[in-house]
Amino acid sequence: MTDQNWSILIPEIFLFIWALFIFGLDLGIKRKNPKILGYSAMAGLTITGILLAIFNGGILFKGMFQSDQLAIFFKVIFIGSAFMAVGSSFDIASEKIRHHRGEYYGLILFSTVGMMFLSSASELITLYIGMELTTIPLYVLAAFYKDDKLSVEAGLKYLIVGAFSSAILLYGLSLLYGLTGTTDIVTMKINLSLVFLSYGKIGPGLILAMIMVIAGIGFKLALVPFHMWAPDVYQGAPTPITAFLSVGSKAAGVVAFARIFVNGLIAFASDVMKPLDWGIIVAILAAAAMILGNITALRQRNIKRMLAYSSIAQIGYVMVGMVAASELGIASVGYYMFIYLFANMGAFTIATIFNDKTGSDGIISYSGLSKTSPIFAAYMSIFLLSLAGIPPLGGFAAKYLVFAAGIQAGYTWLVIVALLTSVVSLYYYANIIKTMYFSAEEPTIKIHPSFPANLVLLISVIGIILFGIFPGPILDWALESAKIFAF
Amino acid sequence: MNEYAAVLIFLFVGIGVVLFTFFLARLVRPSNPYKAKNQNYECAEPPIGSGWIQFNNRFYIFALIFVVFDVEAIFLFPWAVAFGQLGLYALIEMIIFIVILLFGLFYAWKKGVLKWV
Repeated sequence: MTDQNWSILIPEIFLFIWALFIFGLDLGIKRKNPKILGYSAMAGLTITGILLAIFNGGILFKGMFQSDQLAIFFKVIFIGSAFMAVGSSFDIASEKIRHHRGEYYGLILFSTVGMMFLSSASELITLYIGMELTTIPLYVLAAFYKDDKLSVEAGLKYLIVGAFSSAILLYGLSLLYGLTGTTDIVTMKINLSLVFLSYGKIGPGLILAMIMVIAGIGFKLALVPFHMWAPDVYQGAPTPITAFLSVGSKAAGVVAFARIFVNGLIAFASDVMKPLDWGIIVAILAAAAMILGNITALRQRNIKRMLAYSSIAQIGYVMVGMVAASELGIASVGYYMFIYLFANMGAFTIATIFNDKTGSDGIISYSGLSKTSPIFAAYMSIFLLSLAGIPPLGGFAAKYLVFAAGIQAGYTWLVIVALLTSVVSLYYYANIIKTMYFSAEEPTIKIHPSFPANLVLLISVIGIILFGIFPGPILDWALESAKIFAF
Repeated sequence: MNEYAAVLIFLFVGIGVVLFTFFLARLVRPSNPYKAKNQNYECAEPPIGSGWIQFNNRFYIFALIFVVFDVEAIFLFPWAVAFGQLGLYALIEMIIFIVILLFGLFYAWKKGVLKWV
């Protein structure tokens, strides 16, 4: 068979074996050197990245697994977010979870393997299995502080909501299969057009399928109104896992959404197709996400809850690019997620370090940080300003592209909502900066991150500034990856 | 649509039959409850205390490990049936699958999960 190109599966296979290796290593080394597990997880992710650069491009299993540009672009985001989550975990690994270190790192890698499979899936069942492999390790990771009630609550909530949303997604996918007779996304697109052309209409089953799939993936994305689990889970879970959830798992949801809707159901993205138009449904949800996320974030006193609501709002901005359903739209979504990786992972890394040092997540306890740790206060300001979308940082270019795509596709009202809520968001981001720089209280806390955490912060800051000033290379790559959908 | 209408009718008839039987039984049977009759019989002793007691959670871990291999057996059946046509390729795949599961058991064993302390 011509398409049996096994080599494109090498990065996934390697990362899986490496995760098992880390489990084994945990048994072997006992507690002699606490850092070796973390470093080997980081090394494994780096090697996976290199393998991905060598072995890519092609299809496997008769097109069920595709290593195209979109998949590779998002795989880089997944590997990057796992790398940063591991890098910021060193302190908790030597303290709170020191008896279960191997499981912790191993499960992060398993989840990353799931995301990589998901992004390569061009077929509904592979996509679903990839999504399960992504989320099941995350349920365990969210509840990893076994003695902490909040963390156990987070794990349980995430498990129940996750299982529920998986079931809804599966109902939606089975309806799509029933309507089209295939699980392959491209064949599904063709069959749907054939049915539409021959009968002039498609029954209400398709609307039901679309709503169920939007709800199922919406839960994973924490899109309003499927967001209610996010703040509690984000607050209770270990902070590096919260960061991984908010970047890696969200990017996985975004790529699944792009595969199903922007590829498979692209014909139904325009007003002409009323009431089968999914664009308007998603646009309304995105507007709701931006309004609710940003306004609720204003009142938060806990930094993890604030970042949770901020990430609910951020996914609203991403969805503006998604409903545009054009080449620029998908490219802008990719670029947005890429910058979001640096900004959000960076902000959560600071929150992790701060929590390790003080045991507090309150925004008020950040007061005066600029006097004791000026570098980290500056880092945090850069991350927050990038999330708010201030030039010349990466977040500005990302928002600009997403809004441009939205206007190009005729969603002017949505872009106006996005612009207005973006102004609101500046208030709560700037509020932290104000607390760090202009608080009257005497500063007492000085933070000393470990070397890997420092590395993560440095990568994030460089990424935000570099790709903010020179968006060219990433944007070209994102545009290249968007070409795989035939618009 | 007609086939689906049949399903719907079938559903209603199905629910109706059950309700009707209960109703019919109520009409026919004599109603004469007394204390000895309402006791549970042939099911051993009357229970002492509530059923909501704390089980030893070591049972849970054992059950979990058992389930893994239980599910593995389900996967082995179709594999064994189709093995004739699949050949060496399937054998290697199944060996990899089982080795991964065995590694899990080994990990649990080494972590002291199987020890009944």
